[in-house]
Formats: sequence, structure tokens, C-alpha cells
Amino acid sequence: MHRLLPSLLVVLTLSGWSSLETRSASDSPTCLIPVSGPEYYEIDLVGTRKVRGARMAKGIGEVTYASSPFGVAISATGTYVVSLNLSMENVTLDDGSSLVAWVTTPQLDQIKPLGRFSEELRVDGQTDWNKFLLVVTLEPASGDLGDIWSGPIVARGMSRSGLMHTMAGHGPFETEPCAVYGY
Amino acid sequence: MLARLLLLVFLAVPALAQDHDMMDHSGHNMNMNMGDSLVWRMPPMKMTMPMIAGTMDDVPIVGPMLPGYGMDLSMFAEAKPSEIFDLADGDTLHMDASLVRRTIDGQEYIMMAYGGMYPGPLIRADRGSKVIVEFTNNIEMPTTVHWHGLRLDNEFDGVPGVTQDPVLTGESFTYELKFPDTGMYWYHPHMREDVQQDLGLYGNMLVDPTEENYYGPSNREVPLVFDDILIDSSGLIPFGDSAPTHALMGRFGNVLMVNGITDYHLDVDKGEVVRFYLTNVANTRTFNLVFGGAKMKVVAGDVSKYEREQFVESVVIAPAERYIVDVYFDEEREYAITNSIQSIDHFRGVFVPETHHLGTIMVGSEKAEPDFGSQFVKALEFEDVQSDIADFRQYFDKQPDHNLRLTVEVNDLPRWIVMMMEVDTLFVPPMEWNDAMPMMNWLSSGEQVDWVLLDEDTGRKSMDINWNWKVGDVVKIRIFNDPKSFHPMNHPFHIHGQRFLVTEMDGQANPNMAWKDTQIIPVGSTVELLVDVTNPGKWMAHCHIAEHLHAGMMLSFTVDE
Repeated sequence: MHRLLPSLLVVLTLSGWSSLETRSASDSPTCLIPVSGPEYYEIDLVGTRKVRGARMAKGIGEVTYASSPFGVAISATGTYVVSLNLSMENVTLDDGSSLVAWVTTPQLDQIKPLGRFSEELRVDGQTDWNKFLLVVTLEPASGDLGDIWSGPIVARGMSRSGLMHTMAGHGPFETEPCAVYGY
Repeated sequence: MLARLLLLVFLAVPALAQDHDMMDHSGHNMNMNMGDSLVWRMPPMKMTMPMIAGTMDDVPIVGPMLPGYGMDLSMFAEAKPSEIFDLADGDTLHMDASLVRRTIDGQEYIMMAYGGMYPGPLIRADRGSKVIVEFTNNIEMPTTVHWHGLRLDNEFDGVPGVTQDPVLTGESFTYELKFPDTGMYWYHPHMREDVQQDLGLYGNMLVDPTEENYYGPSNREVPLVFDDILIDSSGLIPFGDSAPTHALMGRFGNVLMVNGITDYHLDVDKGEVVRFYLTNVANTRTFNLVFGGAKMKVVAGDVSKYEREQFVESVVIAPAERYIVDVYFDEEREYAITNSIQSIDHFRGVFVPETHHLGTIMVGSEKAEPDFGSQFVKALEFEDVQSDIADFRQYFDKQPDHNLRLTVEVNDLPRWIVMMMEVDTLFVPPMEWNDAMPMMNWLSSGEQVDWVLLDEDTGRKSMDINWNWKVGDVVKIRIFNDPKSFHPMNHPFHIHGQRFLVTEMDGQANPNMAWKDTQIIPVGSTVELLVDVTNPGKWMAHCHIAEHLHAGMMLSFTVDE
């Protein structure tokens, strides 16, 4: 660590970080206040390009708080309760097939169906998991969805919280032994 | 006199830090001077958190300060629990702020109190009444009293330099309070809240309705005041002298309290409906309160009832917010009051469930009389609130009159902090439930951090903003909490002297409103407030995280007749 920090400082300074002491809000690009959102927590649904009729598929998962008298919706265990509004585009479906949205944990140990997409390729749902993946699959247009998808994955995306990962072995903590922290 | 007292605090003090519990910091190098005067020591933190080498000797750039430090504890009267003062129209209450002796978890501390009580005296009055408070400052710092949420006359709002001069040590000020709105309110200093409020200067005002059956029935009413305080085995962690420490995230306490104690207990009968009046007086901590799985419905917010009661599993309450909830205890058992959160361990990149025990409610075998169980299960519609709000619906779709962006500027922070903050940008949580970076937070002072309210329409910032409104205006403010700032954080936004509705959040219309004076603005969110401008004068609006307020996060607005 002692060896790392000076070299990191050099790299950062050479990269233009030497002026980091002052950060001004007015220096930032003009940011119009959004009327909806929050865009920061939106989930990009990235196509797998493997499914016929959906090779250019892409989508968005909008994340807003579930209705709450407190503004921010929190469960009794402290997790965020969010509404998920998924929309897809560039998908042509065969008769007898439909897109289905699922929410799952990053470990895939829990999976819940959010439901079938509408003809407008939209579907809504809710979750209270800390980190989660949205999975869009191609399924039969009718019948019970079951506990897990059976068709191919058309698109998937990860919650913003899923991007948070350990610092052990990275950046300023590069020399911290990952194994000590269970990684 | 004041200078002499301060000299006592800073210089002529014995060491209290000598027996600092190093077990609190096993694995951390606490190579700090523990001499005879008040010195900085690292705040308590989880020992599972590794530290960057070479940073452990860092201390805040401001000096340490602790009111009453080194003084003989026996000089001070033991503070007593809060008492209720039922005041009739025109009554006068004499109340001071003073140093007191407090016992928390068996340890004695020199703290502050209004009227020698923790919390301060509960002022109870009828809606529409007026009372006088003759206030005297007996602490060693200038102070004022702000009567949070009251739509009172401007000159009594308690903002130094705006509505009054600071009340110096030994001086007095007469406040005239009026209570136009039913509900629970609170009072606190508006000078160095990070110190004075944290040390115990807070109290409630309960405004009773004049109407019959204003609320649904309940068996009893109980005020609960939630707070936290930062303590280690050597005592209170010092505050910054010329500016607050903990300017980035606010000063999270590690000891949580209900009504000023850590072992709150209440005995109730089986089947009781208890109406709790909840107030969060913490500097920065937002609580997620759970009542042991009891059925619970939220009845009212800061300044009014909701349009309709709403059943909830927990209550999210930010600093300065109040909620009135009815809780039904239908089983003979123990119900724990807990703060149930998902804290974040940034080092490991994981959420960590935490449950903080705050108190206990023991339900006995005796049945409550009368039995309101059958009425409790119905969520009441409050037509009086719906009718009041209906007059404002015509403004719900109007374009915002003001657009505010919440952001932050920093200067001269230690480079390693800047680096760490810049590196850790992959995920910023909507809410900060815990001090996830205690060392970095502690080291950031109000002299290095400027929290900014940026008026997007004019480019003006914070106290350069002075909006001009007229009595009768209905003003829409759209607030965006920028997630891409240097350090995004949730802010409880408070507007003095007026009331407002939260009409929309992130593009979603609010289906059940109450009049508010303080509202959480989560990171990344856009929240629309509709202000009912009724009260003339020069007022403030600000973040109610004490350290953010003192780091500049406030603006002014003038209301003309």
C-alpha cells in the first residue's frame, strides 16, 4: 500500500487530477432538471443478439419508488421498494410467442416473473431486492410462466446497485488480500 | 465572559482522552497526541473497515471543541425527563438553555437542555392559540430558538442575522408563538445546530385540534423523539470549533436514543391503539422505524393529516420530519422498536442488513378499554384535508416557478479523500442510512465543503438566492438532487414559515398528500413542491442535515404582503 499510493498519485496527477482541490457546480455542464426519472437508476436492457426476430432488441427498465407516504419507499427490512417499468424495441414476435420479464438476484438463487410484455412491448412490476438483474426472455404466448424461464434470453440488465463491488484488490486497496474478505 | 469560558473549554482542561478504548480501533493505527488538552481522536468505526496507510494520523483542519469540556460534572444539575406544559391562549413559559449533566448508558456527560429537560419541555396548546416563551441563554455559545414548522410571525422565527440577533450568553429573547395548524412540531437552535441540537437542545410542541373526532380513536398518545449521538469510551467525540466536522455526510451518532435514553420502555394493554407522535431530531440520520410487526397506519405528516390513513410496515423519517402513526398492539408479547436499514459497506461493495434496537413495548394480558380494534382496521378518509388540498389542484400541472439543483463543491480536502470519492462512483445510494465512510466524513469540515442549492434559472447559489413571492401566491419548486456531483446525498429540505405539498416525485403524481414543511429529496430524484404562500417576511429554506446547513446549503425568500 505504501508503494502503491505515490504511484497512484502520479498517475492521477498526470491524468489531469491535479486540479481536484476545487470542484465547482457551475463548472459542470448545464443540467436541465429532469421531469421524470431518476435516470441515474435506469437499467439498460442489452440484447443478446441471439434470438431470431430480436437480434437488434434493446430496452430500458425505468426504476421509480413504489407509492409511499414518505416519498421514498422502504420495506420493513430496509430495502428499497421500487416500481419497474420495462419497455423493449426492435422486436418482432412470431405468433404464439411473447416476451416475458423476470427479476432475479445476481446469484440467480431467486427468480420472480414480472409478467408478459404488452403489444406495445411494455410491462410493469416491482421488487425490493438490493441488487437485481432484469431478464427478458422469449416464451410461449400462453400458459403458466412457471418459476424460471424456459425460452432464450432476449435482453438483460443489472440494477445500478449491482455495479457496486468490492474494493479489495482494486484501486487504493489493490494490495488488500481478496481472500481475507471472502472473494 | 464568553471569551473566558471558551478559554476554559479549549485550554484549561484535564485529559479525558487518556483512557480511550483502543479496542475500538484494534488494527487501526491511532498515533495521535493524547496530551493534556482537548485533542482530536479518531471517531469510532467498524473494525472490519480497512484504512489506507498513511491516513490514520489525519485530523480535521478545524480545532476540537466540546462545550463544558474539563469542567466538574458535579457543577451541573442532572437533567430530567421531559414534562408536558399545557398552555392556554396567552400563557407565558419561561425556558432557558443551559449546560446539564446527562447519563447515557451509565456514563455521565456534560450536555445541553432546554428547561433542564431531555427532550425539552413539551409545549401543548390548542390550535389557534398564542403563547409567549421567555427564553434565556445560559449556555456558553450564542443561540436562537427556531420553532420548526410553525407558521408564526416572521420576527419570531429564530434565524440569526435574518429575523433576530443571536441571543448571547446571559441574554434573553421573547418569542411569541402561534399555532395555526394541528399536529406535532418541534423547536431547536438555529446556530451551530450540529453542536447544540446534538447535545440535547430540542423539544416538541403538540398542537391539539379544536374539532371533535379530528383523528380516529386511540387509547393513548405517546411522543417519541429519535436521536443519535457520537460517543466512544472517552466520552463525546469533539465538534469542530470554527466549523462543523462531518460536512460530507453529517455527524452520524453511534448511540441511538428514544426520548434521550437508550432503553426506552412502554407497557400497554392488549388491544391498545397507541398514537405515536414521531420526531427525528438527529443531525443527519434518517430512520426506518419498525414497531415489532404491529399493525400500523400513518395518520399525519408534518403540518396536517394525510388525505387518507395508510397502512405501512415501517416509517421512514428524515431529520426534522414528524409523523403521527396509530399502532395496534393486539398480541400479548414484546414488540421491539427498531431502526431497520440496509447499510452499505463500500469496501466490500455490499448491502449489510442492520437492525438497531431502540426500545421495547410490552403488551400485557389485560384487555384495553375501550376496544378500538374494529375501528383501527379501517383507513379513515379525511375530507377536511381533501377539501383543503382540492383548492390547490388547479396548480398541480403548472410549470415550476423555480428549479433547484442540489450539488456540492469541495476545496482543500485531503487528496486521498478526493481520490477515494472519485474512485467509488459506480453506485450512489438514494439514501445514506449509516456513516459508510467515517474517517473521510469526519475529516471533511464546513471550511472545505460547500453544499449548494443551485437556482437553475438564474445561476445563483444558496444565500445569493432571494426569491420574491407575495402572500396568496402558490409557488412550485422543482428540486433535482444531482447524482453526479462530487458526493451525492439525500437532503431533507425544509421551508420556514410556510406549508407545502409534495405533488410529484420522479414524474409520479402523489396519490395521498399531507401538508409538509420538510421533505426527503433522495439522490437522483426530482421532487415537486407546491408552496402555499401565506406568511409575510424574510424566510429561509435549507437542508436540515445540520452539517450541510452550516456548509452553506440554504437560501432565502421574501414574502410581501
